Amino acid sequence: MDGANAQSARAERPVSPMMLLLRVSALQIWRKFAAIRHQSRLLSLFVGLFMAGYAYISFALFYRGLRFIGSFPGLGDVLIERLLFLMFAILFVMLLFSNLIIGYTNLFRNRETTFLMTSPVSFQTIFCWKFIETAILASWAFLFLVAPLLAAYGLNNDAPWHFYVVTAALMLIFIVLPTSLGAFCAVSVARFMDRRSFQVAIIGLAGVLLVGAALYMKPEIMADDFEENRVLGLMDRLLVRTRFAHYPLLPSYWLSSGVMHWLEGGIATAAFFLLVMLSYALFFGFLSFTSMGRMFYSASSSALSRGGVFGQWEWVKKRGAQKAELSESKGLSEIVLGWCFWLRADVRTLLVKDIRVFWRDTTQWGQTLILFGLLGVYILNLRHFSSQMVNPFWIVLVSYLNLFTCSLNLATLTTRFVYPQFSLEGKRIWIIGMAPLGMARVIRTKFWLAALAALTVTLGLMWLSCRMLQLSTDRTIFFSGVITVMTFTLTGLAVGLGALCPNFKEDNPSKIVSGFGGTLCLVLSFVYIVFSVATLAMGSTGWRLRGSTGIPGVGAAVLFITVSALLLWLPMKFGLRKAVNTEL
Amino acid sequence: MIELTNLVKKFGDLVAVNDISLKVAAGEFFCVLGPNAAGKTTTIKLLTGLIKPTSGSARVCGIDVQTSPLEARQRMAYVPDFPFLYDKLTPWEFIRFTGQLFQMPERDIRSRAEELISRFHLDEYLRKPIEGLSHGTRQRIAIVSALLHEPDVFVIDEPMVGLDPQHARIVKDILKERTNAGMTVFLSTHQLGIAEEMADRIAIINRGVFAGIGTLDELRGQSGSDGKLENCFLALTSDETDADPETVPA
Repeated sequence: MDGANAQSARAERPVSPMMLLLRVSALQIWRKFAAIRHQSRLLSLFVGLFMAGYAYISFALFYRGLRFIGSFPGLGDVLIERLLFLMFAILFVMLLFSNLIIGYTNLFRNRETTFLMTSPVSFQTIFCWKFIETAILASWAFLFLVAPLLAAYGLNNDAPWHFYVVTAALMLIFIVLPTSLGAFCAVSVARFMDRRSFQVAIIGLAGVLLVGAALYMKPEIMADDFEENRVLGLMDRLLVRTRFAHYPLLPSYWLSSGVMHWLEGGIATAAFFLLVMLSYALFFGFLSFTSMGRMFYSASSSALSRGGVFGQWEWVKKRGAQKAELSESKGLSEIVLGWCFWLRADVRTLLVKDIRVFWRDTTQWGQTLILFGLLGVYILNLRHFSSQMVNPFWIVLVSYLNLFTCSLNLATLTTRFVYPQFSLEGKRIWIIGMAPLGMARVIRTKFWLAALAALTVTLGLMWLSCRMLQLSTDRTIFFSGVITVMTFTLTGLAVGLGALCPNFKEDNPSKIVSGFGGTLCLVLSFVYIVFSVATLAMGSTGWRLRGSTGIPGVGAAVLFITVSALLLWLPMKFGLRKAVNTEL
Repeated sequence: MIELTNLVKKFGDLVAVNDISLKVAAGEFFCVLGPNAAGKTTTIKLLTGLIKPTSGSARVCGIDVQTSPLEARQRMAYVPDFPFLYDKLTPWEFIRFTGQLFQMPERDIRSRAEELISRFHLDEYLRKPIEGLSHGTRQRIAIVSALLHEPDVFVIDEPMVGLDPQHARIVKDILKERTNAGMTVFLSTHQLGIAEEMADRIAIINRGVFAGIGTLDELRGQSGSDGKLENCFLALTSDETDADPETVPA
């Protein structure tokens, strides 16, 4: 065959579907990045600064934290080792959950999957493609999170350059395991549960884990003689309680051991753990890439056929019938809001609609529940430490950290759920926009509903935190006031920016959030929280007791209130103006 | 070309498709009509192999869609009412991608696409991102991509949604030409006019069974009503009518 013919034959050779999908996906990702660059330099700058800032700050904190822990005589190394084992064990569980949820959505709630299933692409190829996509989507944040930690760990121990290369390889091998397991769980869940049961089961499982963790971590009462050698005793108990992370069949154990042994020069042992992990990754990866196609198709058929296996149970059917009867009557939200006689009827109707939409979307309240549930467990556990925190500096520090965490959680939720509300409403403009309610009132109603709903949670958590730390009444009132202001500001920011940068083309809230306005909302919320907490903390009495030069308390409060008012007022003002004048 | 044999699909207690049997010949234009939730989409999902039947079988060109799905899908094309397109690609990139998925040689993709693109007036949109295009234009892109590999069986759900009269005419013309050339069309719609104008045979599905099936004249006979298809449809799908599936020919 001559050269031209060979070239022609090569050009005519069909490309494998997997290669085509990879190519299309790479092209789509490239276009997304290119679009961001073309649409707004401000957004690129914001995102870039945010990522770089996060990487730097987390690296600095890990570096100093590890150095601090390492300085404990005789205990530092043991503590650092246990911390790494624990962190990777917890991250493994989180990765597993993340893979399960993203895998389920990718495999069974995805239009591309349905499209591919009607093309001449084998079920196995579709599964493999979605497997790769899920692995990337579920694991990039994990890699982003652990990279600064491992860099700090390596630098603290003067690790050679090859430590970072081997660690990166270990990470990449490691993520195959939770992805395989998550994909298998997602396929099993889709086969046997409908979407509703799955969501409820996930949240139930998360609840059980939370309660289990809270019980497991419950402190023990110490005998008086324990006070004598308290530190060693405490360390001993701590190590015993966290020993589960050293279970040798946990993939996180292989990863942690590999990383540590390589750092310490135990190349052979590290290589052993690397090979153990590689063999499992290859085994499960091979199974996923060769044998899951038919299972995936059966599960997909079940998922598309709506009814899960549990739907055939008698009591599930009865419950469905009861719910159908109940739907004829007014719901609880309608009855309760009916008592609010001072609200206009159309505003009440809008509120009832928003509450119902939120309640019926399990993913929304599920995520809220998990985020604030974790925070609640942590705050409740504070009561066991308050007696040991005698230094006012630590009490003030912990109380401000609680304020920081609580407002960060809130910012995540306002950006994710409150910000897209107006854009989603715009899609249904034929109902809301045509009603004699007015766009301005729609936005104000959404603001008040979101702010008051969020306030019940944030205020409750803040009050609980103050009680657990046994703060005085005036400090409790102070923190309650601060979180109230922050709740209104963060909600106003999300509602205002949501109206200012609407996206009426999208149905999917997460895609609305990923645009310019959503990113701006998240970054501004984060900057506002850091600024507020830092300003107030520096102005607080406890900080000055430590000897740091703090700005005066009144000055800090005035600055905080001014910035909060501006961040609430400006986006709402411009958002309302834009909404009223929007041509839909 | 299409052969459904005693096809049953149950969703829990609900029987969405109840023991239907059907043969559609090569080159036949076959329309499925029916009220909402009658079982049309489920039948299409079974035919395209998106879901498994509870019992029975679906065959395309003699190939069972369950036991040999790849071979079956290689011979058919499916366009749903809201087709999936990759938003960040251009129409040309998407059309080419679909052709490559069906393992078409590059020169065939180009030559066939050129003709279809020109007929659907897509030239001016070829280099623009799909995300900015109207629903009608997206529908045209989906139809072009589906017809590109010259399927033996073309399954299409509500083809005219979003199309202007000019392009609706073009779709009808192309489908007619293709059926004359031997392609089988299995079309589901609520627009009775399309069925009346285009179909060789029409099936009216109600509560998971064929309430009537045949040419327009045969449907008139089965429904006992005269004149337009609308009258037959209403007669066969009204609550008072309980068509006996035994009397409906497959």
